[in-house]
Amino acid sequence: MKGFLLIAIVVAAFAAVPLVVHSNVTLNFLVVALLIALAGQGWNVLGGYGGQYSFGHAAFFGTGAYVTAVLQMRYGVNAWIGFAAGIAAGSAVGAIVGTLAFRAGLRSSYFALVTLAFAEVLRILASVAPITGAGVGMLIKLDLRAQSFQFQSRALFYLVILALVAVALVTAQMLERSRFGAWLIAVRENEDAAMALGVDAFSIKLGAMVLSAAITAAAGGFYAQYFLFVDAGIAYGTWISIEALLTPVIGGVGTVFGPLVGALAAKSLGEGAKLVTGDVPGLDLMIYGAMLVLVIRFVPHGIVGAFADVSDRIKRRVLAARAPAREAVHG
Amino acid sequence: MWQPKMSLNRRRFLATTALGAAAAATGSLAMTSVLLAQGAAVKLGVLHPVTGALSYSGQQGRLGATMAIADINAAGGIKSLRGTKIDAILGDAQSTPQGGTAEVEKMNAAGAAGIVGGYASSICLAVSQAAARYNLPYVVDVGVADSIVKRGLKNTFRFGPGFGVIAKTALDNLVAINDQAGKPAKTVIIVHEDSLFGSGLAKLLNAQLPAKGFQILDTIAHPTPTRDFSTIVLKIKARNPDLVIPANYYNEYVLLARTMREQHVRLKGIYSVLGGAASSYKFVHDFPEAARYIMDCNHWFNPHSEKALALKKKVEAGGHYFTYEVYMNYSAVELIADAFERAASTDRDKVIAALASSTFSGHIMPYGPTKFVDGQNQGAAPVNTQVLDNDIKVVMPPQFANAKPVFPMPA
Repeated sequence: MKGFLLIAIVVAAFAAVPLVVHSNVTLNFLVVALLIALAGQGWNVLGGYGGQYSFGHAAFFGTGAYVTAVLQMRYGVNAWIGFAAGIAAGSAVGAIVGTLAFRAGLRSSYFALVTLAFAEVLRILASVAPITGAGVGMLIKLDLRAQSFQFQSRALFYLVILALVAVALVTAQMLERSRFGAWLIAVRENEDAAMALGVDAFSIKLGAMVLSAAITAAAGGFYAQYFLFVDAGIAYGTWISIEALLTPVIGGVGTVFGPLVGALAAKSLGEGAKLVTGDVPGLDLMIYGAMLVLVIRFVPHGIVGAFADVSDRIKRRVLAARAPAREAVHG
Repeated sequence: MWQPKMSLNRRRFLATTALGAAAAATGSLAMTSVLLAQGAAVKLGVLHPVTGALSYSGQQGRLGATMAIADINAAGGIKSLRGTKIDAILGDAQSTPQGGTAEVEKMNAAGAAGIVGGYASSICLAVSQAAARYNLPYVVDVGVADSIVKRGLKNTFRFGPGFGVIAKTALDNLVAINDQAGKPAKTVIIVHEDSLFGSGLAKLLNAQLPAKGFQILDTIAHPTPTRDFSTIVLKIKARNPDLVIPANYYNEYVLLARTMREQHVRLKGIYSVLGGAASSYKFVHDFPEAARYIMDCNHWFNPHSEKALALKKKVEAGGHYFTYEVYMNYSAVELIADAFERAASTDRDKVIAALASSTFSGHIMPYGPTKFVDGQNQGAAPVNTQVLDNDIKVVMPPQFANAKPVFPMPA
């Protein structure tokens, strides 16, 4: 319950932001950060909890984005239904990629490369297929009405993406507490040992892949509605695979809040670097890159992981301090 | 030994992160990339992709826009606003649509009276929509996708030509040049980058070239960036076309042209439509052999305009090349400054109305009379250029030409 309570507090705090902050600059910043956090949480389910490091989450992000856009613009489907269909389609792509990769017994770097290859194949297909607008991309018509999943106010977009992040946080928390999650972590720690204990590693990994894909596809669908334009480079480009991977790495792989903390830290770092560098082109990106290297070098378990490490160290010291006292009493 | 350093770096990291988060929470991010207003200056958003894959073009665009602002200010500012100066709010789209959108938010929060720039069509699309939310006047500098001005956005204007006009002009001029030379070219290969610009153009050419008597042997797409054209050039060599039509950005164009030269691909011509490098002095200067005789239908300045030639001299004196990004941004800023002048106000509705009814003249572009219909300047048109004698000459249309086309190109 402690975990869910913490999620409720964090989400409530974020939900209160539009009440005190009216700057669209800030809201846009937070929307993008939460969007990346959502994609990162998708990656975290599979990579963090399942130990299956994907380099191709763009495949799910792009499918979510394209299905949302194509259904609206080509078939006149309502945007919300298109968004739901995008999540379903992203999950389906996850199921296909997962079935093929896990059935073939691909692990670690081989799995990473295969996911990257799938994303690239989809990018190339999207850049030539007429239904996706080929290289021209898909432009969603500006229609600032709630029923079109478009809002005049950035605050409403912010609340929608916050709700999606909240669902993803609850999902991760449930994963940590569920039997499925325990099996998934067992597979991550030692797949052969887990299988020897009767865990169906294939089904568990596939389930995690589908869940991971669904969350990332939701981020893709939201991207399409927020920016109203997708093309192959945006939807299936490596940028989102990297962002989805980086945020949990910075925040803490395999932790509930890791992707959220990582996304906020990374985006704040980027903006902080801009504040420092002013208008010198690229200097902010150089500082951002250097800081990332430092974080990865000196905080290998991510920000949340570092806090957990410190907390563990304190607990151990307290226990160690108590032990001689106990021995003295009993001795 | 490194332990204390590690702890210091971590603190620094957290401090920087906290600074960014705090800045975000208070809305002070609006102040990033902002040249603060001096008095009651007119604030103009100057938005380009100055980092990322399109950074060269973006930086050139920024150069043109800031030079125009400096010239306008030096000439007395906006006279109908009692000589009010223009202050640039510089923004970096980081070569992505989402980067462009974020900058629009900052510019709007900083009180911009308008925005100029975008460069790539995908960025222009995102920027125009974000600006439309605030009824913020937006002048597209380069982005040529027709959809930019065909969505009914009242705030968006493009002074330069769009895809449709460029493709039609390019095809008409190609047919005219080929006919004049006795129709030596019959077969074509199109090499295009795979985003909005290249693919859109390839689609148009595929639809229209066959009707003009050309056979398209192949259409080859490549991503941006691409750093090796060997396979593509081998493919071209194997199909042996009369013409190659490249549609890509600067780096890829240069690499493609150089690789074709290195592999001795024999062609009757390289005819670009919006060729990223074909109308670039940098390309001609750096790779004169590869650039020789290349033809391009592209944005260009009026070679008979004294003002354009003076600007060219000034840009080159600063150690920069006079690329199309420079003079298109220069012109876009002049256009919106003219609108401020006509509106005698920075009120967004009034500026948009002034842009919509603009008859802006005295500019440096080879265009007809300025008249906007649904945000598109009807007088805008590209010209045909050719690399001749290590220089870029205008060869079509006759009223702006300063040389005659050389076609087919000598072996």
